[in-house]
Amino acid sequence: MLLQLKNIFKWVNSGGQRIFLLKDINLDVEEGEFISIMGPSGSGKSTLLNVIGMLDGFNEGEYQFLDESVHHLKEKYRSNLYKEYIGFVFQSYHLLDDLTVRENLEMPLLYKKFKAAERKAMVADMLDRFQIVGKKDLFPAQLSGGQQQLVGVARALISNPKLILADEPTGNLNSQQSEEIMQLFKKLNEQDGVTIIQVTHSEKNAAYGSRIINLLDGRKV
Amino acid sequence: MFKNHLKIAWRSLKKQPFFTFLNILGLSIGMAGGLLVSLYIYEELSFDTMFADADRIHRINVDVKFGGTESEMAEASAPMAETMVTDFPQVELATRFNTVGSTLIRKEGTQKNTRETHTTFVDQSFFKMFGLDVLEGNMASALTEPNTLVLTETAAKKHFGNNSALGKTVILNNTGTFTVTGIIPDLPKNSFLRDYSIFMSMAGLEDAQEADWTSNNYYTFIKLIPKANILDLQQPLQDMVGKYVIPFAQRYFPGITLEQFEAAGNRLHYYTIALTDIHLNSDLSDEMSANSSLQNIYILGLVGLFLVLLASVNFMNLSTAHSLKRGKEVGIRKTLGSTRSKLLQQFLTESGLITFISLVFALVLTLVALPLFNILAGRAIEIPFSKPLFWIVLLGTTVVLGIASGSYPAFFMSRFIPSKVLKGMGNMKTGGGNIRNVLVIFQFTISVFLIVSTIVVYHQLEFIQNKDLGYSKGQVLIIENAFAAGDDAHVIKEEIRQLGQVANVTLTGFLPTPSIRSNTSFFIDGSTEQEDAINMQVWTVDMDYLPTMGLQLVAGRDFNKAFTADSTGVIVNEAAVKILGKTPKEALGMRLSNDLGQENPSFSKIIGVIKDFHYETLRKDIGAVSLSIGDSRGSMAVKLNTAEYATSLASIEQIWNKLAPGQPFSYRFMDDAFNTTYQAEQKLGQIFMVFTSLSIIIACLGLFGLAAFNAEKRTKEIGVRKVLGASVSQITYKLTIDFLKLVAIAILISLPIGWYAMNQWLQDFSYRISIGWEVFAMAALLAVTIAIITVSYQSIKAAIVNPVRSLRTE
Repeated sequence: MLLQLKNIFKWVNSGGQRIFLLKDINLDVEEGEFISIMGPSGSGKSTLLNVIGMLDGFNEGEYQFLDESVHHLKEKYRSNLYKEYIGFVFQSYHLLDDLTVRENLEMPLLYKKFKAAERKAMVADMLDRFQIVGKKDLFPAQLSGGQQQLVGVARALISNPKLILADEPTGNLNSQQSEEIMQLFKKLNEQDGVTIIQVTHSEKNAAYGSRIINLLDGRKV
Repeated sequence: MFKNHLKIAWRSLKKQPFFTFLNILGLSIGMAGGLLVSLYIYEELSFDTMFADADRIHRINVDVKFGGTESEMAEASAPMAETMVTDFPQVELATRFNTVGSTLIRKEGTQKNTRETHTTFVDQSFFKMFGLDVLEGNMASALTEPNTLVLTETAAKKHFGNNSALGKTVILNNTGTFTVTGIIPDLPKNSFLRDYSIFMSMAGLEDAQEADWTSNNYYTFIKLIPKANILDLQQPLQDMVGKYVIPFAQRYFPGITLEQFEAAGNRLHYYTIALTDIHLNSDLSDEMSANSSLQNIYILGLVGLFLVLLASVNFMNLSTAHSLKRGKEVGIRKTLGSTRSKLLQQFLTESGLITFISLVFALVLTLVALPLFNILAGRAIEIPFSKPLFWIVLLGTTVVLGIASGSYPAFFMSRFIPSKVLKGMGNMKTGGGNIRNVLVIFQFTISVFLIVSTIVVYHQLEFIQNKDLGYSKGQVLIIENAFAAGDDAHVIKEEIRQLGQVANVTLTGFLPTPSIRSNTSFFIDGSTEQEDAINMQVWTVDMDYLPTMGLQLVAGRDFNKAFTADSTGVIVNEAAVKILGKTPKEALGMRLSNDLGQENPSFSKIIGVIKDFHYETLRKDIGAVSLSIGDSRGSMAVKLNTAEYATSLASIEQIWNKLAPGQPFSYRFMDDAFNTTYQAEQKLGQIFMVFTSLSIIIACLGLFGLAAFNAEKRTKEIGVRKVLGASVSQITYKLTIDFLKLVAIAILISLPIGWYAMNQWLQDFSYRISIGWEVFAMAALLAVTIAIITVSYQSIKAAIVNPVRSLRTE
């Protein structure tokens, strides 16, 4: 088992009222799964993804990640945990505009204290694998949206995470580009065994996954 | 349209309270600083200009070299004034002052004396010369008779209360009886007469009527007839040397001619200085009042300019940084048909509004700070609210400042291209970044320069304080006006000596602190050659002088009561020996005379040589001094052997009151007297400190604002980095280091400039520190520390934000 959520509640207090963002979520994720989270706007999809990614906390419940009790961990261990095992892909790519493609890819490695030679090799490997060697010295602004997201996925993968969390990865892309990215995810999941959890609005994209979780008002339906 | 601009401007300021606050705070501090400095400079430049015909009044200065020493004096000889009026048609009027320093004054029939610090004899022409009028009395007859005097309004009030002082009799220094014949208004604070309160009639001063051309004891002011050129007077003035001085000197040096006098390497040069130039351009040892210097004006002016520049730069920085937020507004306005010039107007209205709001705060700040500044600068400056010129200049400057600071951001922002800015910030992310960096470097360059200057000034002051002066100034109590006790001064001295806390006492008017003293020429026995003459100060002291002052003998011996011949013996300092061209040992036994060539010349034998000691400020080299035994009662110096001043003081005062009833007991400590000597430097140091702090505050406000903006701009980047595994400390470091690079560049630029400028300043001191690397290390460290503190708050704040917030895409 990769991770397990048990009775997760998350709320905010607003004007004396408790507004639930997540209500009693239970979720088991095995390694090698490809899960799509669906639901209308405001149903808690992104919040759930953030909780899984340990970027956001929760108020009640238990969260086991690789047999570690996340809810008991201190902030420092928690960030070490997600640094080690989780990669993020965003709707608006979130590449750093001032850095070239190569530098963007290298960044997570810097924070994991890889040596320069190792970093170079890993970046070269990734550029190769995604066939973007020719773009390595370009800045994000010089790339199309699809190419940018490609770099985004490459960056998420570079430190060999067990889990990729993707928040509407194709939300800003046209249909052809979307198709390419989803094919990439499928290939990563099937060939490399990477576990993927994606948030999506599109039935078509959701169909790439092995399982679909529907959320409504913070509750699993 | 303008009204609309104003409304929009007001709203946009309100919308960003934080940036508006930083902007206004920085600008108003800078403007207040600039205003203070301007007022101060204006005051300094206006010195003595209020007197009627001030532009026609000049003072005679004398530059004399005779014997081994030279001196430049603000005083001329007694007959000079009258002779000039008689000889030169272009001289309309002449007035002499003979200052007597502090004086004890009491009303006739009372015993209690009070002290007035500035008293002078003055010619009757005084009123006409300076266009003064009397409040009471008759101007035409006041000061014509001997033993009459004129008081200022304040002095009259002080001594006579609400009763009229006119016609009353006062006793000066327990001996002179004077009648008050006039009351004049208080003299302006920005005039050379500001401290003088008692003006005695010159008619009663015998010495003033004599035609002695070789003693220079009279401050001589002349007034030219209208349209006369002072330059035409220089040669005739100089010719007076041959015409009057040399013939007079022949009574000392029979048969001497001007040629011989000059051939012996001597010099006597008369020249003039305009009244209005005295305050800033004259720094002779015997000025009537403490003067300032043009250099200080330049320094302060520069500092004031820096402050305003810093504030203006701040404004530009914050505005352009902030402009990114307004790109969308510009885009929308342009698509709706606004022209670039309309946008320019809009932005300039905004900066104008900010500048004017800042002006109001600056005026308030100045009002609050002015009393403190006056104490610091020793002036009575007021904001001239009632003068239209003040408002014209102030408002004019504000408009210029507003346009200057606002134009760059306005041009910068109005250039945005709608299609780009509306699509998102896109490629204009780094817009103006380089210029902003340059501006930050500029600000810190100035700040670091000011820090270096402040440190150097303080080091030099500290150096002066701790310098081995050759005498011990610690634990020495000086009783002023010891002469007021009359012959009982000696009795008082002996009684004080009996006190347990007292190590020694000396009675003398000559203390090793700077004061006005004159030189006397001496000849070595057996030679009337002028080149063998030596100019020395003669200090009349008593037997206890050396031990009390802690002066050290290098050869010979101290005065000793056992040797009756010591009454004609002298002790000289090393400087004197050097001029004589001897070693201290060789000089012992030499005989000197100051009246050689006359009948029965008197000789003094050198019995001892003392180590040089700093009796003048450290700006000057040490001149020749000779000590001889005599009865000088100017003051009494008491060396205490305890730091327990209070009880010692009480016992000494008791003795004084017993033996000199009715005389004021006025005292000071020699360290304090010493410190007043360096007041100008200390003031400069303090003023520097204040303005340096202000400039650092302004620079920090700017940096703080920029850091806030920068953190905001990079919110997304910080979020991404955090998600990809960056820690809080890594992010903080990254955000901070960018600014520190700028500060480092600023330090590199400013250190050499600071080193050069401060070395120039130090040249003024004969005894000075050398600027070591630790000064720069300290300044650099200070600047970096301040920058880190300023920036890190924003950086940490940005770094601990949860990336989920910053990366939300909705």
